[in-house]
Amino acid sequence: MNVPLINIENVSKRYKNAKEFSLHNVSFAIFKGDKLGVLGPNGAGKTTLISILCGIMHQTSGKVTYNSNGSKHSIFGFVPQDFAFYDELTALQNLEYFGVLYNLSRKEIKERSENLLSLLGLSSVANKKVRTYSGGMKRRLNLAIGILHNPSILFLDEPTVGVDIQSKNAIIQFLNKLNREGTTVIYTSHHLSEAEEFCSKIAILDYGKIIAFDEIFALKAAHKADTLTDVILKLTGEGYRDHV
Amino acid sequence: MYKLLISLKKEALLFLNDKVGLVLMFGMPILLVFIITIIQDSVYQIVDNNKISLLVANHDKGDLGGKLVAQLDSSGMFKILEKNTLEPNAIKNSISHKEALTAIYISSDFSEKLQNKSQQLSNIILTDFGLSDSNTEKSTQIEALVIQFFHDPVLQENYCYSIISVLHAHLSVLESTKMIDNIYKEIGATSTSPQLKETIQKNQIKIERIVATSGSQNKIPSSTQHNVPAWTIFAMFFMVVSLGTNIVKERTSGSFLRIKTMPASFSIVLISKQIIYTIIAFLQVFVIFSIGLYVLPLINLPPLVFPDNIIGTIAIIFACSFAAVSYALMIGTLASTESQSNGFGAVSIIIFAALGGVWVPTFIMPHYLQVISLFSPLHWCIEGFYVLFLKHGNWNDLVKPIYILFAFSLLCQAIAFFKIKFEK
Repeated sequence: MNVPLINIENVSKRYKNAKEFSLHNVSFAIFKGDKLGVLGPNGAGKTTLISILCGIMHQTSGKVTYNSNGSKHSIFGFVPQDFAFYDELTALQNLEYFGVLYNLSRKEIKERSENLLSLLGLSSVANKKVRTYSGGMKRRLNLAIGILHNPSILFLDEPTVGVDIQSKNAIIQFLNKLNREGTTVIYTSHHLSEAEEFCSKIAILDYGKIIAFDEIFALKAAHKADTLTDVILKLTGEGYRDHV
Repeated sequence: MYKLLISLKKEALLFLNDKVGLVLMFGMPILLVFIITIIQDSVYQIVDNNKISLLVANHDKGDLGGKLVAQLDSSGMFKILEKNTLEPNAIKNSISHKEALTAIYISSDFSEKLQNKSQQLSNIILTDFGLSDSNTEKSTQIEALVIQFFHDPVLQENYCYSIISVLHAHLSVLESTKMIDNIYKEIGATSTSPQLKETIQKNQIKIERIVATSGSQNKIPSSTQHNVPAWTIFAMFFMVVSLGTNIVKERTSGSFLRIKTMPASFSIVLISKQIIYTIIAFLQVFVIFSIGLYVLPLINLPPLVFPDNIIGTIAIIFACSFAAVSYALMIGTLASTESQSNGFGAVSIIIFAALGGVWVPTFIMPHYLQVISLFSPLHWCIEGFYVLFLKHGNWNDLVKPIYILFAFSLLCQAIAFFKIKFEK
């Protein structure tokens, strides 16, 4: 029997002083090699779910089980939606700093930094201050830092938001390469065509609940939809989800 | 350990790249030390090292006006500029053109009125002692004698009162001398006792000025001795703008979240920030004190006199820098945005500085403000530096400010710790 890499059972989360749950009895399993897209409207609970899975915050109730050797910190990679580095440092200085926090040796940091910067097209600007980078270059550096320690599970919160088509393409190709090499990828995005192209499975969240979880072709077939966008609109409706 | 070292390196690089922070923490206080010390020193010199410039318009037809001017000149306190033809409006004009800081106008009937006043007073005395003949009039109405005193509007009130007091003292001598002359004359003595006149004219009671310090030194405090430590403390606490913003930026950016997923604690980040900024605070002290020691004397300002108690000085510098870093840490963790941290941080330090005695000493404040000033950490920093730089105190005198500063620091650290720990 195939054992899930991460098993999520009845996970709920209510923030302090909040009236409603941000996540409500969420249950599903993630298997090794999955490319899981966590999709849904604004405020659906995507970032909360990712934050719980990668250990940034604790659930109010429920259980998350990890079936992997090594500590969570060493097997997880996290690429947050915000740029998680220091603008006033160079790319190499950023990678050196985060590499040491990941417990990598100097040699490992040097080798992996050079390799990642080359793969992500940042070698020529490695010694320039990050504040001089374009949005796309910053997104690629954000990704490089998140995978510097070769994580086996990579969490990405909207990794391609606000970048040009070239950088988006480079990031998605790079994520596919990582996945082929064995990294399990869990990713949130509002770019549904990108998710449809990249993900193998989709979890659709709405009002803190999982309203659909399956492979993309199965979801489309079940809801008689041509695209993932149609599936989500059918499930979550076309009304605005503005909330304050 | 390596994580701490790399964090220290990162913080040092971030600080060196923070041009605004560098200017605020080094440029601004150095400029303030120069400006405020020069201003205070020039005011200080008006009544201390330099003579007060006094323009005299003596219109007196008698000899007493001239005697008064001679006495003021011989006092050594004034630099007399005689322009006896000037009328009050012209005197005002001269002062507004900075010819002198102060002026007196002696009217044409000065001698006559002073003579009359002395005569009336001596008559009263003689009558009371029964030495007057029956024809002597005992008047109870003594005619007012007025000398007009003009001063530059920038001259502080206390200096004006000091000068007026000096004028009164010299007028009293003239009046007393004249009165004794009258009494001697009335009782038929041929001439006044020279010994009595000399005793009256030369004030034999010396007032010795002693600075109340614990040590044996009796140096008069200079503007440098106050301003250099005071503005150094201000500079240390103004790090709230740089460090507070740095912490808010880190907390609100993705790096805070990223570090939470790493085998590292955010406390390493905060500890490294505190170490770097404590080192920076010591650098501020080194730079500003060096300016006090070596640069200020080059522009004719008094040099900073460093206290003998070096270990005590290091202890109070450490207590102040720890308090400043802890306060910045607390503001950085409590603020939600960089604007909040900058705005509240900077304004709070200015208020703390005003209350704490950076600009004016707390002892001249109203009582209720003196009580409020006890809640300013800058007050205790200044107290600590005063113990060493002005009072030449010992360790016992330092204990209280150091304890209070450490208590303040621990409170700030505790608030910051719990805010970070329970942050959503």
